[in-house]
Amino acid sequence: MRSLYHDGRTVMHRLPAGAKLAGLMVVAVLLFLTRSIPLLAFAMLATGTIYLGLGQPLRVAIRPLVPILATILAVVGLHLLFNGVEEASVTGLRLTALMLLAASVTATTSISDFIAVISQAAMPLERLGLLKAADIGLAVGLVVRFVPEIITRYDAIREAHRARGLTPKAGTVIAPLIIATLKDADSIAAAIDARGIRGQ
Amino acid sequence: MFGRVQIIFDQTQLRYGEHSALAPLTLSLSEPRIGVIGLNGSGKTSFARLINGLAKPTSGTVTLDGLDTVKDERAVMAKAGFIFQNPANQIILPIIRDDIAMGPKSRGLKGPALEAAVDSVLDRFGIAHLADRRPHELSGGELQLAALAAVVVTEPGVILFDEPTNQLDLKNRAMVKAAIEGLAQHAIVITHDLDLIRDYPRVLVFHEGALAFDGAGTEAVTHYVEIVGA
Amino acid sequence: MKTRDLVLIALFAAIIVALGAVPPITLGFIPVPITAQSLGVMLAGVVLGAKRGVLAVALVILLVAIGLPVLSGGRGGLGVFAGPTVGFLLGWLPAAYVTGRIAEGFAGYTFAATKQTLGFIAAAAIGGVLVLYLFGIGYLAFGAGLGLEKAFYGSMAFIPGDLIKAVVAGLAGRAVMVGYPILHRSA
Repeated sequence: MRSLYHDGRTVMHRLPAGAKLAGLMVVAVLLFLTRSIPLLAFAMLATGTIYLGLGQPLRVAIRPLVPILATILAVVGLHLLFNGVEEASVTGLRLTALMLLAASVTATTSISDFIAVISQAAMPLERLGLLKAADIGLAVGLVVRFVPEIITRYDAIREAHRARGLTPKAGTVIAPLIIATLKDADSIAAAIDARGIRGQ
Repeated sequence: MFGRVQIIFDQTQLRYGEHSALAPLTLSLSEPRIGVIGLNGSGKTSFARLINGLAKPTSGTVTLDGLDTVKDERAVMAKAGFIFQNPANQIILPIIRDDIAMGPKSRGLKGPALEAAVDSVLDRFGIAHLADRRPHELSGGELQLAALAAVVVTEPGVILFDEPTNQLDLKNRAMVKAAIEGLAQHAIVITHDLDLIRDYPRVLVFHEGALAFDGAGTEAVTHYVEIVGA
Repeated sequence: MKTRDLVLIALFAAIIVALGAVPPITLGFIPVPITAQSLGVMLAGVVLGAKRGVLAVALVILLVAIGLPVLSGGRGGLGVFAGPTVGFLLGWLPAAYVTGRIAEGFAGYTFAATKQTLGFIAAAAIGGVLVLYLFGIGYLAFGAGLGLEKAFYGSMAFIPGDLIKAVVAGLAGRAVMVGYPILHRSA
């Protein structure tokens, strides 16, 4: 699984993850508080400039944004039809600016930096006894580790169907997939505990 | 480097409701290589899991170098490594190197010391070339070696193997056998693969939830074959 | 949290991700293929219950946030949260919780088959459709400024398909309860 992080040496890359996330939230609030079209247009140009200046090849930069832009344009279209140009512009500019800034944070922050800042932010919850911060990184690792195996299992189940002359259907593939996957939980958990990884 | 590890079963019994998984057992283990054989359901896996605390005795005690598996659970698990039958389910992070580093990392090791420990164990088992690979791409034998590396790097005094070669083909089985043979720490190997333990100084045979034979490897195998009528 | 629960949550999150990565699958009785990821979300509540179900879904959302393209179509990254349909993503959280709470009431492998299946279908429909659309339409209406009426009309085309998914989820949930029951009354 390829992450959307793109290595580089720009200012955004060197900012700490926590600062970027906090900044993103502040800008998000500001963007939703204003209805000024000049201001929003400026925001969109500024965030667009930042995003395109991160050093990603153009195709790599645009690809993750296309599906989001599609939904923004659909909403803009509906606004144009029913609510007028002003409403369409405010929403379109606002959401696009936010999207570009958010995508900039994603492109300049590595997975491990994200996990570090999230684990740190979870420390107060750990003190309250609600969770263990280290479990977050472990859980993310487990998911990324086992997704390929589950996909392989899915393909195997489909093949088994075809070998018996059946069409693989949602009704007959999904339950076996879940059962076979979750049955592994006990042995995986035993291996984790035997290695003392969760420090209990 | 690791010295003798002594495991003592004192009137240890394991029951699941009505069913007796292991009849009361009293014995002491300290040989560097011990084999455990028996049919499925004979009690051999229960026996193994009682040693590192994965299973807790219904009555009686199990101690490892004086540490009780119930009262000193964490210390026991730190001293006794465990290798499971399914190679893939023991690798829990997406890159081999990170998975091996997990054990020492959670015990506080970091930086160059951590890297050195991981590199050392990768070389030790001849899997340095697999360090940056995904577990998905490795063979069963390679995964078992990675799992073994991940356990050895935490420096246990004894390693328990629960049918380590069950899911492996001949070539991979040979790889794992060689790795076990070369271990500095004590090894207790539960297995169906009689060749693995035939030369061991001590092999226990379990049958129907109780210890049926306790002696040298070759005799144990003969006895086992007899009981089973194979 | 028990290690086993942590692993169940992570494995289910991995299932949801995997279902987003494979091509759409056919339903059989209708020739239209469906994207199975949202089916996975409904199933999180039915199979794992409210607490573990919500955590599994939260884990998937976390993966999106940290830049992994785990949503169907390879979507991911913080940009997703800026889109007008983000209510349908964050809505997975209350949806899985509600589905889980209702499903827990029908838990147990001694429960009568038809009653349990219908209970699971109801759980999937109420959580995975009613609650989810509440949040999805809510954000479209107030966050994207469409207003309730337009937001609803814009989304209603998808509702019949999702209701069918809820039926499939209920049936699959029953099959899992028979094959490997892990849902219990107060999970």
